[in-house]
Amino acid sequence: MKSLLKHLSPFAPDQSGAVSALFDFGGLIVICDAGGCTGNICGFDEPRWFIRRSAVFSAGLRDMDAILGRDDKLVSKLQSAMDGSGLKFSAIIGTPVPAIIATDFKALKRMAEKRTGLPAITVPTTGTRHYDRGASDAWLELFKTFATERHAIVPGTVGILGASPLDFPSLDAGELLSAALVAEGWKSVRCYGMGAGLDDVRTASAVAKNLVVSPAGLAAAKYLLATFGTPYEVRCPWLPPQMLDALPSLAGKKTLVIHQQFAANAVRDAVLNLDASSQITVASWFMMEPDYMRENDFHIESEEAFIEAVANGGYDAVVCDSRLRTVLPRTQAFHIIDFPHFAVSGRLFDEVK
Amino acid sequence: MNRAYSITAAELAARGREGIPPELLSSAHLIYSSPATLAFNSPGAQGFGVKRAGLAVPGSVMLLVAPACCGRNTAALGCEASLAERFFYLMQDDTDIVTGRHLARIPEAVKEVCDSCAERPSAVMICITCVDALLGTDMERVCRKASEYAGVPVVPCYMYALTREGRLPPMVSVRRSVYSLLQPREKVASSVNILGFFSPLRDDSELYTLLRSAGIRTIREISRCADYAEYQAMAEANFNLVLNQEARHAAADLQKRLGIPSVELARLYQTDKIANQYRLLGQAVGAEFDDAPFRECAEKTISDFRDRFGHRTFAVGEWLNADPFELSLSLIRNGFAVSEIYGTVGGSNFVYVRKIAALSPGTKIYSNLSPSMMFYDGSDSPCDTVIGRDAMYYHPGLPGVPWNEERQPFGYAGVAALFGVLGKALSEKKESAR
Repeated sequence: MKSLLKHLSPFAPDQSGAVSALFDFGGLIVICDAGGCTGNICGFDEPRWFIRRSAVFSAGLRDMDAILGRDDKLVSKLQSAMDGSGLKFSAIIGTPVPAIIATDFKALKRMAEKRTGLPAITVPTTGTRHYDRGASDAWLELFKTFATERHAIVPGTVGILGASPLDFPSLDAGELLSAALVAEGWKSVRCYGMGAGLDDVRTASAVAKNLVVSPAGLAAAKYLLATFGTPYEVRCPWLPPQMLDALPSLAGKKTLVIHQQFAANAVRDAVLNLDASSQITVASWFMMEPDYMRENDFHIESEEAFIEAVANGGYDAVVCDSRLRTVLPRTQAFHIIDFPHFAVSGRLFDEVK
Repeated sequence: MNRAYSITAAELAARGREGIPPELLSSAHLIYSSPATLAFNSPGAQGFGVKRAGLAVPGSVMLLVAPACCGRNTAALGCEASLAERFFYLMQDDTDIVTGRHLARIPEAVKEVCDSCAERPSAVMICITCVDALLGTDMERVCRKASEYAGVPVVPCYMYALTREGRLPPMVSVRRSVYSLLQPREKVASSVNILGFFSPLRDDSELYTLLRSAGIRTIREISRCADYAEYQAMAEANFNLVLNQEARHAAADLQKRLGIPSVELARLYQTDKIANQYRLLGQAVGAEFDDAPFRECAEKTISDFRDRFGHRTFAVGEWLNADPFELSLSLIRNGFAVSEIYGTVGGSNFVYVRKIAALSPGTKIYSNLSPSMMFYDGSDSPCDTVIGRDAMYYHPGLPGVPWNEERQPFGYAGVAALFGVLGKALSEKKESAR
């Protein structure tokens, strides 16, 4: 059965991706739920939540709120929490509850802006999709809301789109990605979502180029291209040292790389640089952008399909989050290289043994 | 709003139960999410939420029928390999939510789950969430159908977070679910069940000794049942001892279905109240308990602690194995000070607020869930010792104990154990300061 998971547990959902994208910008984030979704997002999918205080709230919906659709009550609570807090904007994130009762998020946005006098972002996530969809929607909404003015381009300035701990499982990922670009000769790097602030978003049109490091950042990059003419490049400039150390062992081999598409592509490029005869296939449980797929690359539709693809692929090695090990056929001898993906296992690179 | 809201016990008591300020009422504001409130927002993320609790039935497995987001934190529970193998997920997509078509797949999914298990499960617990609460799914009927199709008992567990403050909150409902498989049996007079927790009482609890002294030979707890047969033997109990009010509904159901009456005891930290409770229990079961040695031991532990560490000033949280207000009252009555309590004031514990107000009117009461807690600054707090995982979060530099271990403290032994670990924590802090 396609929708049945017998070995794995569900991956980070869209609402976690939306929160992850907005977490670093100094806004008040309200998760439109009864409480459980907030606990899951904060307690499991947002490692930064444990190390610093953040304005993440649950709407605390109860059955009558859902039945009666008390949006005015939610906005009153939001206003009360915003008053005097110094927070710069509010964001309301969807979950299955508003999805079922068909909450009008556009109306919520207008109501929240009117009541607080500050910008509001709404992301109508449903909890049924993966994190990257929610992150993509949130990035797009963030730039649409704040990046409204054209600024003079500052030469040597680059923006990074699509970075979050869910895609790059390190609390230092923003710095590491930025350092890699500085080493390439860029003078100033803005890693949106992991270091860059809301003013950087407001002046997003001032960068010479955007680098898209995960599929979640692509929609925002296209928006900035269409609005300001800012060019973008899809490339992941940094891989964790453990991964780089493992690359030589993949040279000349038939390998399946499973991660978010652009990080997996970076592994492929690096292995092919070592040995052009290597056969590298990229697969992902998450968004696979057709423009960046090569022959044989595939989207993983279900646990069953994954087992079958691996069993019949004739791979020598599989690069993936080790949590997936439980699904890999035990009868076959693969060389498995652990490439943590927080959205899959909730593990950081630092936790790799 | 730029500072944490608090109210003194005196002010709160003066306002009365009907005058609790909105800042302390979770329904009146957004719920602040910090590590201190993780257990509230996601009961399953730590300790026992509905998912883990539902697996209390020995040999059972759980099928979570929900959008993927509801199962996400189960990966954390799954770190424990034995649990990971017992969770399965039937994920709902947008169309399922609109049409309810997922319900037709449940019987087949249950069968597929059973077929994939190395050992046939004793039962399949179906965990459903807010989605089916709003859809109004008749899960009892779906479970009957699944049971007929797969040939295994199938039981619904309602993880309806939306009803958390309703008549039947999820943790009350799941307690009924886990005992719902018990079938009528002949009663055994010397047999008793302890209901309330999903993990056993600490082995040193005097409750076991006292019950045995009254002729009780078999004391069963669901978490100590080795297998399904032993679980089923819980149906022979002469009475149920309810130690957590969240098990009251389950006990009532067992009385109705199996004719097992129940007696309720509360977890207390005031030794005189514990003694009173045992006296009443003795009257109910027709025995006279000799609890004096246990009481003496607990009170000696407290006085030894006081002699050794002086009159400490505590901050008490609510993420712990106690009612924070009752525990605070106990500390105050034993000569300590309580400067702050982080707790949820409600109908059942307001009586303690009044008593605290009489003895320690300046004790400040905070709500963990208030948005203003984002600005909490404990640097001017006079407290020097903390109890509770949330309190430890607010005062990371102070000695303290989480006191939220899975083995459940109860009675005098619980009191002694608390002061024992507090003494250890303070000694270690002193040692590391040297």
